[in-house]
Amino acid sequence: MLKWLNEFFALAKNYVVFALLVSLSLLLISTNNNTHTRGLQVLGLFTTSYLESGVHDVLGYFTLASRNRELEDENAHLIDLTARIRAAMTENRQLREMLNLRQQSKAPLIPADVIGRASDGGRYFLTLDVGSSSGVKVGDPVVTGAGLVGTVFEVNAEYSLVKSLLDNDSRIAAKLVNASADGLIVAGDFGQLTMKNVSRRYAVNPGDIVETSSLSSLVPPGIMIGRVTKASDEPGNIFKKIDVQPSVDLSSISAAFVMQYVFPPAAASLESSKLQKEK
Amino acid sequence: MTKRVLVYIALGIGAIILQKFLDDFASIESVSPQLILLFVIFLSLREGQLFGMGGAFLLGLVNDSLVTHFLGYTSFVGVVAGFIAGFFYKESEVELAAKTFNYAWISAITLFLSEVAALPLIASGELNYFYAFVKFTLGTTLYTSVFAMIIVFVSGRRSRYV
Repeated sequence: MLKWLNEFFALAKNYVVFALLVSLSLLLISTNNNTHTRGLQVLGLFTTSYLESGVHDVLGYFTLASRNRELEDENAHLIDLTARIRAAMTENRQLREMLNLRQQSKAPLIPADVIGRASDGGRYFLTLDVGSSSGVKVGDPVVTGAGLVGTVFEVNAEYSLVKSLLDNDSRIAAKLVNASADGLIVAGDFGQLTMKNVSRRYAVNPGDIVETSSLSSLVPPGIMIGRVTKASDEPGNIFKKIDVQPSVDLSSISAAFVMQYVFPPAAASLESSKLQKEK
Repeated sequence: MTKRVLVYIALGIGAIILQKFLDDFASIESVSPQLILLFVIFLSLREGQLFGMGGAFLLGLVNDSLVTHFLGYTSFVGVVAGFIAGFFYKESEVELAAKTFNYAWISAITLFLSEVAALPLIASGELNYFYAFVKFTLGTTLYTSVFAMIIVFVSGRRSRYV
């Protein structure tokens, strides 16, 4: 490098000295404060800023590749962070709703984590990490803060299986709050529910709330099931066709309560004795 | 070499004093012959480009500090003149370039180019470029070239007598 500099200076020393002396002279001129030097001062300022921006651009070009890699890494990290934050927010919202539910519920609630989901051929199960040892029984309703999830249909000491509302065998008595009409909630198409047995004489509109009915012996009344998305009358059918969007997002549920609901025994025995007498 | 440098210093100081005298008494419409530049051209032709530029810079600094009080201007024009005149320097033809009428036309070219280089400085005040070019660039070049011819003529006659 030093040798190269020496050779360069030997070849171009006159030009280097010329440039140096001219620059020095111009520098001295620019220190004079009169009208002749103002243009030179402006020119010097412009040249300096132009050279500085040029140098900055050149340096920026060489650091561009590494900067790009840094930004890509940062972007990936931020995407990951955003996904985690979204998941945490969803979980937080669900837990808040569940906390609220626990404070309001009259029936005892058993907290549980959803440890498995299975859907196959019209069956839609959830696996909970609580079983009979925690007090879970077959038929117990499972709820979250957003509403009804389903009912327990299989249980062992440690785990229990829940038949969700989207399961083809699920049948839950439900009520349209606005129309005060009772019906039956069954699994529908494309992750939706269908409400059956609602007479055409009832006025049903999209957005109407559907909740559990007092006619049900499995679940207590007043638990949110979902909202009506579409209600229509079909020719030749005395009942309406009602599509309901479930209030619980079954694809993201991570925790739930098993509700220890007991249908009033006196009412149950009255019903059964009457039925036996009629037989 | 040291003796020669001392002679050049003495001649330079003499040129500055004479320049002041010419500015005061021989200027026509603020245009005066540039004796300092003629001396710088002479230096470059005699000693080479580097010597001419260095001498011009120092001489210009002294002149600007003591006489014109416009620091850097004479240095600038002098360095440019020394640089251009240095291209006419040939070691084997020093006497031919510096002491014959070649000196006059070399001076004319050098003066013209160095005055053109200084034009933005002169015209950046109230003057427009065309006026400054005609008056100062052409005027100074012409006046100084005539002066250079007189110097060559006088020095030529003297050297013949010597």
